[in-house]
Amino acid sequence: MRAWVLALRDLRLEWRGRAGLLSAFSFIAVVLFIMGIAFGPDEGNLRRAGPGVLWVALAFAGSLLASRAWAIEVENETLDELLLAPGSREWIYVGKLLFLWVLMMVMGAFLLVLVAAWFYLPLAAWPQLLVTLVLGGTGYTAVSAFYAGLTVRLRARDVLLYLLVFPLILPVVLAAVKATIGIAFGADIAEVVSWWKLLGVFDVVYLTLCVLLFPGVIEG
Amino acid sequence: MSEPVVEVGNVWKRFGRQWVLRDVSLVVEPGEIVALLGPNGVGKTTLLRVIATLIRPQRGQVRLFGKPAKRIEQERGWIGLVANPPAFYRHLSGEENLEQALALAGRPIRREQALAAMADVGLPPSRPVMAYSSGMRKRLALARTLLMQPRLLLLDEPETALDEAGRERLVEVIHTAARGGAVLLATHDRSFAGAVATRRVAMEARG
Repeated sequence: MRAWVLALRDLRLEWRGRAGLLSAFSFIAVVLFIMGIAFGPDEGNLRRAGPGVLWVALAFAGSLLASRAWAIEVENETLDELLLAPGSREWIYVGKLLFLWVLMMVMGAFLLVLVAAWFYLPLAAWPQLLVTLVLGGTGYTAVSAFYAGLTVRLRARDVLLYLLVFPLILPVVLAAVKATIGIAFGADIAEVVSWWKLLGVFDVVYLTLCVLLFPGVIEG
Repeated sequence: MSEPVVEVGNVWKRFGRQWVLRDVSLVVEPGEIVALLGPNGVGKTTLLRVIATLIRPQRGQVRLFGKPAKRIEQERGWIGLVANPPAFYRHLSGEENLEQALALAGRPIRREQALAAMADVGLPPSRPVMAYSSGMRKRLALARTLLMQPRLLLLDEPETALDEAGRERLVEVIHTAARGGAVLLATHDRSFAGAVATRRVAMEARG
């Protein structure tokens, strides 16, 4: 319940300030523009690059959003208020995770449309693409919300976040790219489902570990 | 006889290589208003944060409400901390901040209670906190204290930035909080400490 309160409060603050989403959307637009220019006008090249571009852009923009989720507390100096709330502290992580997950899904949907328009990703397969986005996005937000919280008090938090998150998140990004390639090139659904299962396993493992470890690491 | 609200035993705390607290001990009994006095950098704020369970000491024990600080969970909701400056979400109004404080503490949100607490300290409800002066933020912190009714109130230089009326209200809030538990405040102002505290503790720089 308190996790929802925290997530809704953060969404309200984000809506009023729009600092996180605006910077992530701008970042995505620049990445897609540069990638589009780099791969040239050839349709075959763009088709092959599309799934990779989608997940690389989402991963980098997701890190921006993960920093933002905790920057709200740093800017307002309110992290102590959260830590002083009664009960075990997992709910703080879950609240930030929910906030970040909603932003990731909004950004992912926006990104799907852009990549479909520029890199010929077949939007006709949107239900499969959406499942991949949800499964991949959940694993990504689980890890990035955890490490963004872990580094929130550090000065070099933005650099550290990339260094800590990307090695751990590599299997999720790879599995999500493979699933997206399968969807984009009309592979057998059983092959796509096998990548979804792998993503599901990563999601459960990462979520469980992060929830269990968070209360111990957030205290200064 | 009831247990002490706070028991700090031989606490050491360092940041990097710099020891900020060296072998600090302190007991706060129910009903006490204890003023921590001392120059800048002596560790008053750090001690308040250790007691609030926001940071862990390297050595020593802290007990709150008769339990080891490491083991308290629900009891953490009995602690009220007014930092200097007090922390609020700047894009939310004063009223919204108070409602958030209630919700995050797992208490029912009662708008009329929040509005009454704000009126009690003479604050307009709808203005965003970013438009508040530092004195108004202090008053909002008092409103939050009135609303949350902590059993242990920790105050870091609470008197700064407050006008005369604000100071008078602060003293009332401190006395009310002490009746329901205990108050520990850090201040440089000896006259304020003398006027409000039942006991004064001087902290000295060591090493």
